[in-house]
Amino acid sequence: MLAYIVRRLWQIVPTMIGVILLIFFLFNVVGGDPAYLLAGKIANPEQIANIRKQLGIDEPYYVQLWIFFKQVVTFNFGASWSTNEAVSSIFATRLPASLMIGIPLIVIETIIAILIALSVAYVRGSLTDRAVMVTCTVAQSISILVYIIVFQYVLAYKFGWFPVQGWGNGIFENLFKYATLPVLIALAVSLAPNIRLYRTFLLDEMNQDYVRTARAKGLTENRVMLVHVLRNSAIPIITNLMIQLPGLLVGLFLIERFFSIPGIGREVILSVERSDFPVIKAITVYVALATMLANLAADLMYKAVDPRVELK
Amino acid sequence: MNTAVMNPSIGIERSPGLWSLAWKRLMADKIAVFSVIVVILFVLLALASFFGIVAKGWNNETAVNYAPPTWFKDSHKPSADLSGKQPTTSGPALDTGLAKPEFVNDRDPLRDTINELKGQLGQSTGSGAVDEIKIVDPLADVIAELKKKLGRKGDEIGSGETVKKLDSLPFGADKWGRDVLDKVIKGTETSLLVGFAAAIIATLIGTVLGAFAGYFGGKIDDALNWFYSIFSSIPYILLVLAIAAVLNKKGVFTVVLILGLTGWSNIFRVVRAEYLKHKGRDYVRAANAIGASNMRRMFVHIFPNISHVVLVQLSIYVVLFIKSEVILSYLGFGVGVDTVSWGSMLNEAQNELILGYWWQLGAATLFMAVLVTAFSLFTDSLRDALDPKLK
Amino acid sequence: MTTPLLSVKNLRVSFRIDRKNTFEALKGVSFDVMPNQTVALVGESGSGKSVTSLAVLGLLPKENSKIDPQSRIDFEGTNLLTLSNSQKRELRGDKISMIFQEPMSSLNPVFTVGYQIKEVLKEHKNLTGDAAQKRAIELLKEVGIPHAEERIDYYPHQMSGGQQQRVMIAMAIACEPKLLIADEPTTALDVTIQKQILDLIAEIQKKHGMSVLFITHDLAVVGDIADRVVVMRNGEIKEQGTTRDVFTNPKDDYTKALLSCRPVVDSRPKRLPVIEDFMAGRADTMRLEQRSRGVKESDPVALEVKGLCKDFYSREGLFGKKTFHAAKDVSFKLRKGKTLGLVGESGSGKTTVGLTVMRLHDATKGEAWFDGKNIFAMSEKEFLPYKKRIQIVFQNPYASLNPRFTVGQILMEPMIIHGIGNGGEDRSKRAFELLAKVGLPEMSFYKYPHEFSGGQRQRIAIARCLTMKPDILICDESVSALDVSVQAQVLNLLQDLQDEFGLSYIFISHDLAVVKYMSDEVMVMSNGDVVEQGDSDELYRAPKHAYTKKLLDSIPTGLHV
Repeated sequence: MLAYIVRRLWQIVPTMIGVILLIFFLFNVVGGDPAYLLAGKIANPEQIANIRKQLGIDEPYYVQLWIFFKQVVTFNFGASWSTNEAVSSIFATRLPASLMIGIPLIVIETIIAILIALSVAYVRGSLTDRAVMVTCTVAQSISILVYIIVFQYVLAYKFGWFPVQGWGNGIFENLFKYATLPVLIALAVSLAPNIRLYRTFLLDEMNQDYVRTARAKGLTENRVMLVHVLRNSAIPIITNLMIQLPGLLVGLFLIERFFSIPGIGREVILSVERSDFPVIKAITVYVALATMLANLAADLMYKAVDPRVELK
Repeated sequence: MNTAVMNPSIGIERSPGLWSLAWKRLMADKIAVFSVIVVILFVLLALASFFGIVAKGWNNETAVNYAPPTWFKDSHKPSADLSGKQPTTSGPALDTGLAKPEFVNDRDPLRDTINELKGQLGQSTGSGAVDEIKIVDPLADVIAELKKKLGRKGDEIGSGETVKKLDSLPFGADKWGRDVLDKVIKGTETSLLVGFAAAIIATLIGTVLGAFAGYFGGKIDDALNWFYSIFSSIPYILLVLAIAAVLNKKGVFTVVLILGLTGWSNIFRVVRAEYLKHKGRDYVRAANAIGASNMRRMFVHIFPNISHVVLVQLSIYVVLFIKSEVILSYLGFGVGVDTVSWGSMLNEAQNELILGYWWQLGAATLFMAVLVTAFSLFTDSLRDALDPKLK
Repeated sequence: MTTPLLSVKNLRVSFRIDRKNTFEALKGVSFDVMPNQTVALVGESGSGKSVTSLAVLGLLPKENSKIDPQSRIDFEGTNLLTLSNSQKRELRGDKISMIFQEPMSSLNPVFTVGYQIKEVLKEHKNLTGDAAQKRAIELLKEVGIPHAEERIDYYPHQMSGGQQQRVMIAMAIACEPKLLIADEPTTALDVTIQKQILDLIAEIQKKHGMSVLFITHDLAVVGDIADRVVVMRNGEIKEQGTTRDVFTNPKDDYTKALLSCRPVVDSRPKRLPVIEDFMAGRADTMRLEQRSRGVKESDPVALEVKGLCKDFYSREGLFGKKTFHAAKDVSFKLRKGKTLGLVGESGSGKTTVGLTVMRLHDATKGEAWFDGKNIFAMSEKEFLPYKKRIQIVFQNPYASLNPRFTVGQILMEPMIIHGIGNGGEDRSKRAFELLAKVGLPEMSFYKYPHEFSGGQRQRIAIARCLTMKPDILICDESVSALDVSVQAQVLNLLQDLQDEFGLSYIFISHDLAVVKYMSDEVMVMSNGDVVEQGDSDELYRAPKHAYTKKLLDSIPTGLHV
């Protein structure tokens, strides 16, 4: 087990180096000279040269790469180009808001999606099944933008059930006042694809021989579905969950932006708009790292649900 | 099956291959037929728009500002009343605090200046200022609006030489009196173009790399897998936005490139797994035994047997990329001002909604929902038809 | 006269294929199972035997199956078909239980075997806690699982196939059912394990006095255990009677064919009689004409393999590598025009040897002398001209033909690659000739593999090899996936081709009787080692190695009179 974790962590190293190279290539090589962007049109050559020096982009590529590498390892990306806020502080202050939306979302969503998927998988081929599937397809086809615009307009602006936007300081205030509508919208968007996905996972398992055995043993349908089938479907479901997890941090960017929620996703949009390279670079690198760790966690969780998995 | 072989009266005719069987299954599926028809109609519409047969004048201000759709004409106040009123979109948005915080108008020639201004403001505001850009925004819109008014005196009713503007259109008109129907058709063209072009690029890259990785294994697989793990460990949308930030250039071509170059990792994984599975199959071993070369085994033997997977993935991609393009364009990283996207329409529509002008939002949503639904249903049917085991 | 425990009357079941078409799987099947009796339901694929068993248990898929309202399945006097779902459920696992073909996939992989046994006890006997634990261990002991106290906490994958099937049996008899349905319970198992499981079922049947409905495709296995035999074909019953009657005095041609088309170890007819032969009434004379097999030292050698080793590697630990020796120091001589049989259980390395000889795997060590050259030492390019001379027919005819190619393309491809024939016309002419040779109609040329049955596909695969006029043909379990009657046809074809073209065969199979029938010399493999090799008649008559003896003892021999 320990050897496995060490080996997997060791495997992260080359991928991380790859990510660093890719980001470096994008921002330092393809990205060109951000000094012009920052200095604006009014700047004279000296100012530009000055900015370049400050940013360290007058150095040769290998020096810049080494600096970038050191930044990644030391968690020190310096300050944002546009706000001067330390990148580390941006992380620290934006993360809670993202989590406050993300965690309730993923918990509620997983429970609802599994329940609905179980019910429709059980009556597969029936009218209910088809109706739910078509509803999901249609729901999936509407842009997330529309959900946000319409929900925000109708539920918050017209009916006044929720605050139109904003974010407070207290956990409960945020969770039950400001986060409610964003979570609802995110649910509306993400439920449909997940129901479809989980339904396929469940159907795959329902076709297995052991389900026939369970029925031949005279077990109730509830037991067959909730114990035998669900437990076996846990593996792909966990994989899906863990894959979604890091994406959640940035995936909610549109919602965060519309509702003025100071989260990581909104920070991404802001920094893209401002060409604030240090912030994008830092977020990309660390979200990639988080993804790899989440994958590792998923593999470790397999062990808990599937005795066949050997972590070697 | 046997009966056909035993019965010589059938005669020598080319018997149905797996593709034609799949096609038959597809055509037996009513939903599939219906969705195929819808998709084809959309493609025809997009082609017509591409060749300038329809929606050529999408940029012409044919109607009065915010002309309502014909059917809902009566439920809205005559637009003549509105024409005098300055449609300051951001005003109410800020009053109500509703959304739309960091929006820069695409049509605004002063954008660069504003950007600079913004940058300076941003820097001077210092750290912790999360919302500082909002301060700039209303200004941008006001400037844009002022410019419009100055440049387009003909908007005023009764102006002599200009053609009289319509007071209603089938789908209504936007802020500048442009026909929403034309715009949404033009948007269809953009969406389908981006969707298909980017999907083809991503599929090509992913399939070729996946085939090599899965088939050869070993060092080639290790190297390609490393490459894949880099791309797959960065959340897709983050990668797209990061590249958009770097390129800092708008246009259909850029969007296609961004989506195509970042999106290949899904199909790489799928195709690689398929090749891994198939290369151990007996028919490939048999091909090896009869002396077929690696390339022949890869592309003549295996590829036709996994092509249905590629096809399904391609069609999933089209949907994904259409949706992504809408978001990119909405955010202002997508297509430029020279064309329309449903995303940029949604962007405009968001402000209009608060003023009660819902038709641009409705049109873009409707078109997109119908196309994407049809395409997704088609994808599902395609999958079922190509792989009857899955149900 | 006792009343039957189970009485199936005029059972008709149809499946809906699509909106328009239905397929009638059972066309009025009637038979009885008496208390304390074992009834064997015998039939080849598509005969409807498994559908019958699932119908008894009420496990047919509801969405697309339909049971004729006239049908009756009476169990202890009640018609099972009229019971409600929950009534049926209460019977299942309690009064009627079932074991299946694939023990590995039939057990839930994520629960311990103990959990799965106790689940039945809880459901039907309301037994929980220590009582259930005690009973479960008792059951595992009864089915012959050693160290039952520990094994009860094992997961299915930690057990061998035979043990998994024992667990399935333990689960099935947990509630002392009146009727046990065994659906091909030994088909997926090695021959030695098969014997043990058959013995176990027979023993348990006697001990508990229950009835067994034993479903199988292999008549040979039922001789020992069944009291009655029901022979099915295409959804109909062809013949039923006591086992002795059916075996010694079969009335139906199909039954006769089934009984005699399977090779046996003590006789080697020149051709195996198939159904058509019985229809034509020439089967009896055919059986008399025997073929003699064996090699002389003077026979020329087609291929000599010396010290072949094949290792596979898997990753383990932080940097570790685990080596698996699939074939260890295998040496043999294959004589021209003769057959070398390669027999062994799963994992014995027999297929590895076959694939390595024709370089589909790279040999780790060893030499293979063919036509005066060591083909293992050649580069891929040097080997190409030799490649066509050693060909292979794989086990699964559904997997070995490219489904996207027409039969014509399949046959012409090797000719194109090796430059055989002058242009398309000549090649297609050759292809047509070969189709005729393997007994397929001309129009097959234009068809796709999916339009053919398993036996026909195997003929296509053979024809594909013949296009290259090989010297050596490796048959890797080539008839194992086929029904016995079809198997006989393909074996006859292989023999004919050997006679005509003087082909040398390496005939790989787990089926000892088939290997004996086909081979001049036999090599027995176990865990990568060759345990015994020699003349086939000699080896089967007087096996020297203990493993060979065990294998031979396990061959099902049909009826013991």
